[in-house]
Amino acid sequence: MWALLAPVGAVLNRMLACPTFKTPMPEPSAFSFLAFRVIALALALAAGLAPSQHAHAAPGAVVVTPQVRAELLAHAPQGLAAGTPLWLGLKIEHKLHWHTYWKNPGDSGLPTTLVWSLPAGVQAGDIQWPTPSRLPIGPLMNYGYEGTLLLAVPVTLPAGWQGEQLDVKLQAQWLVCKDVCIPEEGEFSISIPARAASAGHRELFDATAARLPQTAPGVQGSAEVQGADLVVKLRGMPVAWQGQALALFPEAAGLINNAARLQPQWQGNSWTARVPLDAQRSESPLKLALVLTRAGEPGGLRVEVPVTTPWPVVAQAPALPALQELTATSGSAAGGSTATLPATLPASPPATVMPTSGAATTSAPATSLLSALLLALVGGALLNLMPCVFPVLSLKVLGFAAHRHDRRALLAGGLAYTTGVVLSFVALAGLMLALRAGGEHLGWGFQLQSPLVVAALAALFTLIGLNLAGLFELGTVLPSSLAAARARHPVADSALTGVLAVAVASPCTAPFMGAALGLALGLPAWQALLVFAVLGLGMALPYLLASAWPPLARALPRPGVWMAHFRTLMAFPMFATVVWLVWVLGQQVGIDGVAAVLGALLALAFAAWAWGSPTLGRRGRWGFGVAATLTLALVGSWAWPSLSEAPSGPTTGTSTSTSTSTSTNASPAASGTTTSDSEGWQPWSATAVARAQSEGRSVFVDFTAAWCVTCQVNKRTTLADASVQAAFAAKQVLLMRADWTRRDSAISAELSRLQRSGVPVYALYAPGAATPVLLPELLTVANVQAAIAALPNPSP
Amino acid sequence: MFTFKSLNPALNTGAVGAISAVVLALTGALTAPSWAANPATVGQPAPTFTATDASGKRVSLADYKGKHVVLEWVNPGCPYVVKHYSSGNMQGTQKEATAKGVVWLAVNSTAAEHSDYKAPPAMAQWMQNQKAAASATLMDADGKIGRAYGARTTPHLYIVDPQGLLVYAGGIDNKPSSNPADIATATNHVKVALGETLAGKPIALATTRPYGCSVKYSSM
Repeated sequence: MWALLAPVGAVLNRMLACPTFKTPMPEPSAFSFLAFRVIALALALAAGLAPSQHAHAAPGAVVVTPQVRAELLAHAPQGLAAGTPLWLGLKIEHKLHWHTYWKNPGDSGLPTTLVWSLPAGVQAGDIQWPTPSRLPIGPLMNYGYEGTLLLAVPVTLPAGWQGEQLDVKLQAQWLVCKDVCIPEEGEFSISIPARAASAGHRELFDATAARLPQTAPGVQGSAEVQGADLVVKLRGMPVAWQGQALALFPEAAGLINNAARLQPQWQGNSWTARVPLDAQRSESPLKLALVLTRAGEPGGLRVEVPVTTPWPVVAQAPALPALQELTATSGSAAGGSTATLPATLPASPPATVMPTSGAATTSAPATSLLSALLLALVGGALLNLMPCVFPVLSLKVLGFAAHRHDRRALLAGGLAYTTGVVLSFVALAGLMLALRAGGEHLGWGFQLQSPLVVAALAALFTLIGLNLAGLFELGTVLPSSLAAARARHPVADSALTGVLAVAVASPCTAPFMGAALGLALGLPAWQALLVFAVLGLGMALPYLLASAWPPLARALPRPGVWMAHFRTLMAFPMFATVVWLVWVLGQQVGIDGVAAVLGALLALAFAAWAWGSPTLGRRGRWGFGVAATLTLALVGSWAWPSLSEAPSGPTTGTSTSTSTSTSTNASPAASGTTTSDSEGWQPWSATAVARAQSEGRSVFVDFTAAWCVTCQVNKRTTLADASVQAAFAAKQVLLMRADWTRRDSAISAELSRLQRSGVPVYALYAPGAATPVLLPELLTVANVQAAIAALPNPSP
Repeated sequence: MFTFKSLNPALNTGAVGAISAVVLALTGALTAPSWAANPATVGQPAPTFTATDASGKRVSLADYKGKHVVLEWVNPGCPYVVKHYSSGNMQGTQKEATAKGVVWLAVNSTAAEHSDYKAPPAMAQWMQNQKAAASATLMDADGKIGRAYGARTTPHLYIVDPQGLLVYAGGIDNKPSSNPADIATATNHVKVALGETLAGKPIALATTRPYGCSVKYSSM
């Protein structure tokens, strides 16, 4: 029976024939069984089903396996002659739910390969890959084909070709998968008559031609790397495509996160889509070939776009210090491999540890929890003095004056307030930890990286400010039942005030507490949450003590008109906070966004007055109120897009510097080379740091953000100091700024590599040193000078 | 004219508490969209895990701090895994690594409902039959470790350095085929990368394309 089947069966798994396959295999492995089963089945099927005319010539036109039926086809509608069209094609009919792969197979799989044996002078071209489908498998995404597929190849005959027939041999390999994968291969051969037309498969060849992606004239675009994302921008898209949902297939594998959802945006004939890069990207092409499809157009479009930003270098782990390497090797050298010891020494001498003169901030884990808790308690208490918190809380304390004789009510309120504060902090921190565990690159202060949150905070502070200034009263705005409920439940009200206090404090915690909280994020989750809880406790502590200590309430002056004045006075720090928030927004969304937000704030103020003014009559309230609400809705809808859309600023390398983000677009060409801005600071990128280090230069990186007050203070004082600048220049230190005002996963990644969660971080990279020296968050001229002095002198 | 009622700051602040709740909710809503886990990135701390190995022992990545750890995604039902085991290539790579003090963890993320799934004793037996030199074979039927590392194919290999940083992610070699004959002429990326990182050098090819069958994750 084997002898009978052998000439017919074209499927030969090459593994069987390979000597390396047999020798090291003492027991029957799962594979040998599997291979045997596949081949036996294939042979049996081929024997039974394949219409083989060549009983003795080894391969035929058809190969059948349990998963596919494959056939070699020719299409030569005018017979064979040089210059007339000739196509060869491998037709693969997949059994239900089985699939083979596209040229980019996606997350797994392999593309089908065709190896032709043709007479001399006859040339086969590349496979004309039809547009594939997305084939999800669990969390993975593949690109490939189900059903009937034709992989067609154009063939050219040499000039003056003559013959009765053309003999074609094909060796094809394909991987066919359903929930299991089977590599298969087949050998095929056909003879094409020269004098007769071969057009029996015209329909299939024509249908396949219609499934090829087409080049659309006039479609142009580019691709850029923005942090962890690839942003593809195409202009001049055909009318029929505009506004449609598109699917994107990159022809190169190993580039994008294939399973991720596209974030597309249409603007007229321009299509912009953001797609996350593969976290383990292995390719960095200068040009991208992309295939786009839309519903109802199986062929789709093929476009080639240049990649206009440099690819971030895959961060390389620092080389080991020699000492650790030695112990690791000797520990494992029980087998007596001491001879290999010298070979394992690092090729270049390891970087010497810089004397940091007390600059290093990372401490041992055992002590760090205690110190973090202590820092959090003190820091929390200090938060009460921040301009955004002080007015709210001072007024709250003034409330004591009204309750000065009801000790129990005071204490209950204080406890409720504390609970509200602590729970809010824990909730916010829990959210952040959950997002980080989910893989988000976030640090404390992440709230302020979203323009919408900043705008919402600006609106909140505007409202509080207007309320304190007396523009409106809440009693008029609140439904009376709600007001009554609040009056009946002072304890719940106190707890809510705690939530509010955290909300208003959050813009202040980020800039002032960033460093200490970064420390906390390095701790296990429960310890980190504990730190945040203690931070809340610290913040609530002064109020709690005051509520538990009656002499304080008694020490307050009697209620009187001074309280009204004080309240109005407190509106000003609130508005100052708004000014700061709007400035932050300006860094994020530009001047148009700021105008939109200021407009929205104005409309909000109008609405607050119309609905809440204690002096306005009922008719006036409704008249103005409706108008104000409409205005607010209008301005809000105008402002919304500029707040929610993707960052419009230029992306230079992987980040933008504060100074360039507000300026006009840097040209793509310039972004590749590092352009210096007026102050001598360049936008940060990990690549540029590595490049400078390899050139023997030291690099100082200022990790900063517009919403970080400490950062701004350091930037304008210490870092701008003439003597510091001179010291940098003397050692030829390259100055770079990593701006984290908006989310930037490249910067977040570098921060977490440095074991920090927020800004400011000041890092000084010596040439050859894998890890930088970190300077304290509060820079002084002296400690920067000391760190610079420790740097090696620049090589000439 | 001010009254004490309107002066009560709690009244002022309480209602804006509603706005603050909106702010907090907004914060969550805005940051949520890409909640989907980003897999491990080379140069970053490798995701930590604790798992049960095929013999029932608890194994934690943290146990191996200070050593190089190789993670190898394995599925005996996958022809590409079989290619590297039947040829002895994978075992050879394992032996060479473990002889230098490297910890080698094979990870099987095949879901229990998949036809390729092997129960822990069967998996242990298979590894033994193959004369594998892995330090342990981890059972990850829920795919947690696989998803954390972004393992896509079998085989798919990762190297974690003594500091716990992921320093390599990619394929076993540069010849994506099912033909064992290709092994002789292929460059074994893992051997090269281990050689570099053990010598204290940065790994030149820190990410490569893995090839093989898809990891048979449970489709939850």
